[in-house]
Amino acid sequence: MKGKYFAGIDIGSTMTKVIIYSEGIRGQVIGPTGPEHRHLANIVMEDALAQARIPFEAVDYVVATGYGRINVPFADKQITEISCHARGVLHFFPNAGTVIDIGGQDAKGIKIANNRVVDFVMNDKCAAGTGRFLEVIAETLGVNIKDMGPLSLKARNKVKISSICTIFAEQEVVSQLSEGIPVEDIIAGLHEAIAGRAFRMASKLKIEGDVVFTGGVAKNTGMVKALESHLGRPVYICREPLITGAMGAALLGKELVEKAMESGKAIKIKERKLTTARVF
Amino acid sequence: MTTASLHGFAKARKIYEDRGLRARELKAEGKKIMGYYCSYPPLELITGMDFVPFRVQGSINEAITKADSSIPTIVCPIIRSSLDMAMKGKYDFMEGFVTAHSCDCQEKFCRIWEHELKLPFHHYIDMPHVVRENSFEQFKEKLIMFQKAMEAYTGRALDRERIQQEIRVHNRQRALVRKLYDLRKENPPLLSGAENLEIMIALMCMPIEEGSIMLEEIIQEALSRGNGPGEKDTRLMLWGSPLTETNLIQMIESLNAHVVMDDICVGTRHYWADVEATSDPMDGIVKRYLSEIKCPRTFRESSSTFEEEMESRFGYLKDFARDWHVDGILLQSVKYCDTHGYEVPALKAYFEKIGLPAMYLEHEYTMAAEAQLKNRVEAFLEIIA
Repeated sequence: MKGKYFAGIDIGSTMTKVIIYSEGIRGQVIGPTGPEHRHLANIVMEDALAQARIPFEAVDYVVATGYGRINVPFADKQITEISCHARGVLHFFPNAGTVIDIGGQDAKGIKIANNRVVDFVMNDKCAAGTGRFLEVIAETLGVNIKDMGPLSLKARNKVKISSICTIFAEQEVVSQLSEGIPVEDIIAGLHEAIAGRAFRMASKLKIEGDVVFTGGVAKNTGMVKALESHLGRPVYICREPLITGAMGAALLGKELVEKAMESGKAIKIKERKLTTARVF
Repeated sequence: MTTASLHGFAKARKIYEDRGLRARELKAEGKKIMGYYCSYPPLELITGMDFVPFRVQGSINEAITKADSSIPTIVCPIIRSSLDMAMKGKYDFMEGFVTAHSCDCQEKFCRIWEHELKLPFHHYIDMPHVVRENSFEQFKEKLIMFQKAMEAYTGRALDRERIQQEIRVHNRQRALVRKLYDLRKENPPLLSGAENLEIMIALMCMPIEEGSIMLEEIIQEALSRGNGPGEKDTRLMLWGSPLTETNLIQMIESLNAHVVMDDICVGTRHYWADVEATSDPMDGIVKRYLSEIKCPRTFRESSSTFEEEMESRFGYLKDFARDWHVDGILLQSVKYCDTHGYEVPALKAYFEKIGLPAMYLEHEYTMAAEAQLKNRVEAFLEIIA
């Protein structure tokens, strides 16, 4: 596949991630998805192309994933984030058996065997126990989201948060603050609650093999620690835990092109344009 | 608009879209409509008494506004919606209403209905939940009570010959439904899963013989039309709780998959088994409705191991999967359906054992979260591709 370029774009609820791949990563950009769903996806793609120093027309195949993948005018194919995350994780961790992904608005567990997805679970009905939950609580506590992990590690008596519903948990946090409980103890309690929920969800899959933790929440060191204590084993984390979906999308695109070439058939390339995707 | 000028697919579509249309026309002609719930009230007895059976259902397209004043929101959403529609007058053509003790929710439902709607006739068939020697006798007693209640209400007796005649009429429709299902053994199938559900629902809202004529027309149309559903990669079977609309199947079929077979009560469960000819025709009816309908509401006693028991309980699904060339199974259930929820662990274990991919799909009684459901089905299709 010398000289060929593959793009993967993962349009999540909060962030859009792009990988340009050609015998290694040539471009990697993470940017906001924007208030109107998918509004800024093409700008993130442009940034990644600039990094790779190629025009959009030079990309041989584009795969879109994530909730914003539908109707993206500049993708050749859409693949679910389940398949893409798994493929991306396998690139970085070939022995991965279970993936726990906690993103902006959902959480999922993926089970992998023989380099294939064999099962998955998702919590996608509300934002409880996701990145958005942490953002809301960080605001209530007056803490920068980036500081939550390190702060929680200083906790001496982590509190018990009984509700995982964002609204109820926020009320609980407010009442704990008024009781004078240190912020770090509250944050550690929140991490414990989210990690417990993610662990129970992933346990439905019977966790096996190396566990890889992905998504924006994997950047939070307190969450990593809490999850590891539930699992009773270390979790593996990519240097950039947001990028596995886009990486998987690029690699699955590459494999589709390779398979088509092997069978002597031309792969279907859409007439794509690098313009704004619109829902309405 | 009347249904008189409509035939085949068009007629099914029209009645599916306006469930009470045919019933209202018939009522205007002086016919009596008997509403029933679920697949358990024996239709042979209802038609034998010259009632037109009408299957009461809920609708996900209708916001529940009136029923909440009667029953709390924790109960089965399909029952809540059905009661809501009745309280809004959507089923005002019904002369009577009959339910059976199919799932536990329905044990109390008939009385609530009677309290809220006050129809001239109500009856609840307290049928057994187990299939044992003496359950057949018990059930027969309850069916005779049902027959007597209708006889007392109408002042007319139902004799053996008439029941035997009704059995033939219903068995003929069942045979036609099985013939319709055969059309989806083909690849690509000759009709879509959504079309099939539309037809099943329409059939339950019209007289039996008229429905059978419509089925014959549809089978002819499906065989001769050139624009059936096209080629797709995956053939799925759908198991689970009742569906009152085609939305879920349409969503699945908007992806690269056909729904070619089902195990739901607005499908095979309702129509698959015939009533056997027995010297007392009631015995055939008893056997068919108690032990031949494959709904998880029925407990089938077994002294064998979990694995052996699974084979006897779910073996028919393996046969369906083989004969309809099924690649995967969607175990779908509406939220709060205990009857189906408790069956999921055993079914998952069974399909894992026989090597057929299966996914559990839970949905609200709305299509509000359709994007998330679609994402799950899409991921399932990628896994089994």
